[in-house]
Amino acid sequence: MSANYRIVGKSHPRFDAVGKVTGKAIYGTDFALPGMLHGKLCRSSQANARIKALHVDAARRMPGVRAIVTAADVPCERYGSFIKDMEVFAAERVRYIGQPIAGVVARSAAEAEAAAAAIVVEYEALPAVFDPEAALAPDAPRVHEDLLQYKAMPTVRREGNISNRARLIYGDVEAGFARSDRIFTHRYSTCMVHPGYTEPRAAVATWDSDGRYTVWSNTQLPFEAQNTLADILMVPASQVRVICTVIGGGFGGKLRLGVEHYVAVMAKACGRPVKMVTSTEEEMTTAYPRQPVIVELKTGVSADGRILAKQGRIIVDTGATSGSGVGVGSSSALILAGPYRIPNLLIEGLAVYTNKTPTGSFRAPSGPQANFAVEAQMDAIAEAIGLDPLEFRLRNILRDGDVAPNGQQLGKVSLEECLRKAADAIGWADRKPGPWRGKGIACSWWTTTSGSSGVYVKVDPDGKVVMNTGCAEIGTGALTGAAMVLAEDLGVAVDDISIVSADSTATPFDYGAQGSRTAFAVGNACRAAVVILRQQALAAAAKRLDVAEDKLTLADGKVSGEGKSLSLADIARGLQLSGGGLIAHGTFIAPPTMYDAKRSENMVITTLNSPSFHAHAAEVSVDPQTGEVRIEDYVVAQDVGFAINPIYVEGQIEGGVMQGLGQALSEEIVYRDGRVLNANLTDYKMPTAVDAPRIRSILVECPSESGPFGAKGVGEPPVIEPPATIANAVAAACGCRIADLPITAEKVATALQASPRA
Amino acid sequence: MSQHSVTRYPVSLQINGERYDVDVAPDTSLLDVLRDEFGLTGTKANCLEAECGVCTVLLDGKAVNACITLALQCQGRQILTIEGLAHGGELHPLQTAFIECGAVQCGYCIPGMILTAKSLLDTQPDPDEAAIREGLAGTLCRCTGYQKIVDAVAHAARQMNQQQSQIKTTTTGDRQ
Repeated sequence: MSANYRIVGKSHPRFDAVGKVTGKAIYGTDFALPGMLHGKLCRSSQANARIKALHVDAARRMPGVRAIVTAADVPCERYGSFIKDMEVFAAERVRYIGQPIAGVVARSAAEAEAAAAAIVVEYEALPAVFDPEAALAPDAPRVHEDLLQYKAMPTVRREGNISNRARLIYGDVEAGFARSDRIFTHRYSTCMVHPGYTEPRAAVATWDSDGRYTVWSNTQLPFEAQNTLADILMVPASQVRVICTVIGGGFGGKLRLGVEHYVAVMAKACGRPVKMVTSTEEEMTTAYPRQPVIVELKTGVSADGRILAKQGRIIVDTGATSGSGVGVGSSSALILAGPYRIPNLLIEGLAVYTNKTPTGSFRAPSGPQANFAVEAQMDAIAEAIGLDPLEFRLRNILRDGDVAPNGQQLGKVSLEECLRKAADAIGWADRKPGPWRGKGIACSWWTTTSGSSGVYVKVDPDGKVVMNTGCAEIGTGALTGAAMVLAEDLGVAVDDISIVSADSTATPFDYGAQGSRTAFAVGNACRAAVVILRQQALAAAAKRLDVAEDKLTLADGKVSGEGKSLSLADIARGLQLSGGGLIAHGTFIAPPTMYDAKRSENMVITTLNSPSFHAHAAEVSVDPQTGEVRIEDYVVAQDVGFAINPIYVEGQIEGGVMQGLGQALSEEIVYRDGRVLNANLTDYKMPTAVDAPRIRSILVECPSESGPFGAKGVGEPPVIEPPATIANAVAAACGCRIADLPITAEKVATALQASPRA
Repeated sequence: MSQHSVTRYPVSLQINGERYDVDVAPDTSLLDVLRDEFGLTGTKANCLEAECGVCTVLLDGKAVNACITLALQCQGRQILTIEGLAHGGELHPLQTAFIECGAVQCGYCIPGMILTAKSLLDTQPDPDEAAIREGLAGTLCRCTGYQKIVDAVAHAARQMNQQQSQIKTTTTGDRQ
């Protein structure tokens, strides 16, 4: 497929690799300024309490302390994405253990930490609610009594502890169930997991006497950080500059403000640069983990294995603030519908407050949780009606030209190809290759997030090219992919391009490194820039070569025609003297995806844009004594549209699967009475090199209409299917269907004791 | 860093072949000295309790977590950090292999991962995949799923062994 291209479609090293392997790359935790002080936070020890008194005098007298800040130092009352339900510092009430109450600035982080520990808070404890189902009861303690008074997006429907009730609905599910030969109801639950980036959240801020803030941070979204900081500090956005450092992983956990707002408030309070880095304990107790969910699904099927109706409810436990949970409750409806033809559907997505840490937008928000429920149920139904799980899926999947459950018109659908390739690779014909061994399969669909991108592309007088983008490189290699698109179109080498990125003042606006969109959207903005650059270059060359523009072409770093040619370097030099240089602003916005608005109520995410389809298959063995699950083989067949840089597309798949396997088998932030019990990296078990199986990636290329060279979003999908795939493989291996993540050895062993079977 | 009233003690460290002298508190870690005193931020900081491995450096050739190694334990000892691995601008075969194999994503674990791999290959020049995975198990990576890192270490081992055998051949040739 890539044969006709010079650059795209062939693996290329990432542009920032040398700095990373030599230790020269400056990350957020590394960044420092002369005279810099250090900040730490005093956090709530109570899950739900009124603050009766706050005593900071003793802390103020501690060695090295330069300033103490509280809610009184923060101009705005509340901020937030869909609902303004977040406070920078708790003023009168705390709603989760770990909620910031005050901040200390000192000469060293150790001094700041000691002083923060010396702050005394007097609480009046209030009844708390930790279970999202209990939070739905009419007499449950309210996490936010004044919820209806908060500012919010108009589409949000709030009630009690519910921050949004979204519905995806069409047809008549009761009629569908009435026609069904079999009806199945199942319940699934998942737990809270952390993105697990290896670099903690970190930022340094300065405040100048003219009222300007500058923040260096490892945020994924410099423009959102700029605007949110402006809201919080109540200054015009132009007075806030956010510059991204090199970023040690994000996975959605660094989309929202982490420490930037604290250092900004502190920098103003003490007039010096202030740095803050989160500790591992803070990460595990107060970052933005993935929401735990409870899913109930009722599915009616015909005797020949066609789905006739599906009804479901997902309860998304957002913790003490709604965060992105409103969006997760919406997008989960699209995933719960599944990539299936369903004539009658009613899915309800509830985002529910509890007195736990605020959750966020971890890679494919809602994907793994909802897919685990859908695909585990598909297998349970297949077994009950005596159909092979692959065959049951093939009878129901979306196909070319179908209307998706949200009313979205689909083009080419690669799902059957993905399913068959994954099944063939895992050896599906032999699903139970031995005692205590089994194979499982799962599939899904996902979006390529839209939003606009802009790049400035400049050709320097030596013919080298600068790509200036507002998008951050969070580690995926997506900006290298965008540079490859630029190199392909402009006729230069990838190594001729250098990249400047992610500075809210100096780089053009970009919706940011989120939602699998970077290579897709920035790549397209680069293509738009080349169209302009080509016009500029041809016009300039036409004059200097005395050849008509339409006789000239741009290729291999030069403009040629009628036997004459002029290098891009020559043209750029000439235009620097006469026309401000060879430079263009390329922009892109994905075309809107049409859907049936009548089918969605209070959904803040309604479509899956340039949808990708994918299937995972695994072979596992189960130790009948210990219940331990071992992954023997793992295959991913993912429709990537077009693999711009195959080695990094594989890298996304391998890394995403491993995060999904962590959620499937071992990762859980364990809460008891509102307190995290395992706030360290020994007891929070992420896979190590020894735990990790080898992943076999099959790249399916069914081009999207709007992606560069047909590319689709790649980064999020791989994390979606692993929990369901493993659950189904475990069931095939030992007959136990574990409906609650993670599938620990303990759960499998307990289930085996109840019904042993090889 | 420690508080100002604590007594400091002199320590002399050999870091990347150069001598560094500094006065430190008894509880100052090697990690803090490298990063905060000498600006050698290539050694990364994360969990600070030897769980994640991103701060791995070589102490007398052996991989240690700098976060739980006291600076005063390192008196007169040889410390290799990522900044000291490339010689005269030429990358070490491990660094080249990590780039070529696509083993670098966010990169935050990579200095620790490369130095861990170096200590493995120094004692076990031709490890199989299981040995490489065992050797790297103390350092967490969240981006790559480890696969391309494992491949990069295997690739680097082959390169280094080839170089070694070429050097041997050349040396033997010279003698003849």
